[in-house]
Amino acid sequence: MPIHEKSLIRPENLVTHDHLVIDGMDVSGHWSTFIEGRSITDYNENLQEEIAALPGGENIHRCWQCGSCTNACTVNAINPEFNPRYWIYLIRLGMEDELLRDKDIIWQCVSCNKCTYACPRDVAPEGVMKATAHWLELKGHTPKSPSTIFDEGFSAQVFQRGKIEDGLVLRNFLQDTGQPLRQPWLETMILGLIRRFPVFYLIRLGLSTVFRPKTRGWGRARAAINEYVHEVEATNRKALGLDAKGAE
Amino acid sequence: MTKPVLIIGGGPAGLSAAHALASAGRKAVLVEKEAILGGAPILSGYAKLVPSHEWAKDAIGGMVNRVVSNPSVDVKVNSTVQAFTGTPGNFVATLKDGSTVEAETAILATGFTHFDPINKPEWGFGTYPDVVTTTMVEQMISSGKGVRCPSDGRVPDRVAILLCAGSRDRQIGREWCSKICCTVSANLAMEIREMSPKTNVYIYYMDIRTFGLYEGEYYWGSQENFKVKYVKARIAEVTSNGSRLLVKGEDTLVKRPISIPFDMVVHAVGMDPNVDNMTISAVFGVDLNRWGYIGKQTTYAHLAETSRPGVFTCGAASGPETIDDSIAQGHAAAMAAMNFAGMAVRAAAE
Repeated sequence: MPIHEKSLIRPENLVTHDHLVIDGMDVSGHWSTFIEGRSITDYNENLQEEIAALPGGENIHRCWQCGSCTNACTVNAINPEFNPRYWIYLIRLGMEDELLRDKDIIWQCVSCNKCTYACPRDVAPEGVMKATAHWLELKGHTPKSPSTIFDEGFSAQVFQRGKIEDGLVLRNFLQDTGQPLRQPWLETMILGLIRRFPVFYLIRLGLSTVFRPKTRGWGRARAAINEYVHEVEATNRKALGLDAKGAE
Repeated sequence: MTKPVLIIGGGPAGLSAAHALASAGRKAVLVEKEAILGGAPILSGYAKLVPSHEWAKDAIGGMVNRVVSNPSVDVKVNSTVQAFTGTPGNFVATLKDGSTVEAETAILATGFTHFDPINKPEWGFGTYPDVVTTTMVEQMISSGKGVRCPSDGRVPDRVAILLCAGSRDRQIGREWCSKICCTVSANLAMEIREMSPKTNVYIYYMDIRTFGLYEGEYYWGSQENFKVKYVKARIAEVTSNGSRLLVKGEDTLVKRPISIPFDMVVHAVGMDPNVDNMTISAVFGVDLNRWGYIGKQTTYAHLAETSRPGVFTCGAASGPETIDDSIAQGHAAAMAAMNFAGMAVRAAAE
């Protein structure tokens, strides 16, 4: 039977045979359109545990699906597809395929934390969104988001020297996200700075780009931070059943 | 010399009424149809009770002991009332063995009957051995054998508890909420998770009614401390894929049909009116309410009155009830019976 309302059905559930003859009847093409079942046939019980093992996801098992988070959500107000309540449910019950359908929306959380204050059970949905985005990255389902790339570049400088150099942060970010270094807004900003800043500041800024600022006696702190970061990364990857260091 | 109060039923409500009367210096005759006292918690082998977590045999056993050892209470087990005649203050009850009991008033503490899930055949009870009831799980725990699939004795990886089995279902003529099953199921789910941490427990619900203070300890507690999962779905049918049970329904929160394999399915059975209620109604001349429980006359003036003056009721005889509220109502019925007798004496004196 031809299906006129195909838009209601997920494309992958529509099956059509280009050449099919049943009992001598040629039903090739759209005459042989079938709809695959859409039942959920199992729960992946590891999913909740994996998200709960990542920072921010610890309280996901408390959720009772009241929808306060989605109702409070800044992003949901703009994009109704952004629905933390729904994703928490999918994770809790282990509906991984359904979750992955929304992998390109989940990371859009802006961390305003309105959900955190609305949640009657202290699930901390913002943390769950963060943990879920992290999970998607670690599992290789999504590339690193621009904000993750920024955070990593920023943190790397802090870990290295205890201080950042703004110019380098910006340059690395543009490079790592494949953007040209010459941005009209950037040029305008720099020209503005040169025009308005006292000469003393400009000299310091200029020197910083050559002799990068460093916190005195940072060596021990750097070693401790690097050790801790490495440890947390290893724990997270282990919780997700990944190799000590692999996907990256 | 005053006549005793006749109490029918030796469960929590009847035991409570008997104790209250004896404590007030009155005599009571307690008639129980089974061979032992204690009612459903004892006869059905309940495990730990809500909300105290005491074992039923200890908690209700204590109530039985203090009644049995009380000289003011005459306990008659293996007995039923065949006929009940007379007027308030001068009732005469004829028991199964032909003996008679003269009584001033009577209290019907005749309780309920567990819903028999064979009346909900699409949920697989009676067809698949691993489909059981909350009562059967209580017995698995109280017997010390642990929660195991009846078919082969294995510890289940996954258990589904289906709420509202025999409750809130017009299809099978049961429109009431049985009040206790949500809390009992949450309690059982926690006990299962505690005994067997590898067993995942899912509760399929329409609403969760862990009312009052049970919310925190049972509903929240089962999720927060034991990771019990709640799915808003009324199950359509329970079938089998040959090796495991298949639970089918609609997960309303994702608007998708589900067909999930389980090792064990538990019906959270509700509280039917006592199967003997038609007989009780005829023998004692009391009206039943539209659902088949013993009808109460008023709600606020006299908690325990039936349609027949001098005959009172308490506990699950008049509708689904918790154990602690049944005990409170037993006291209330005892008080009502004593008030009633006192009023008759004062009327005679005037």
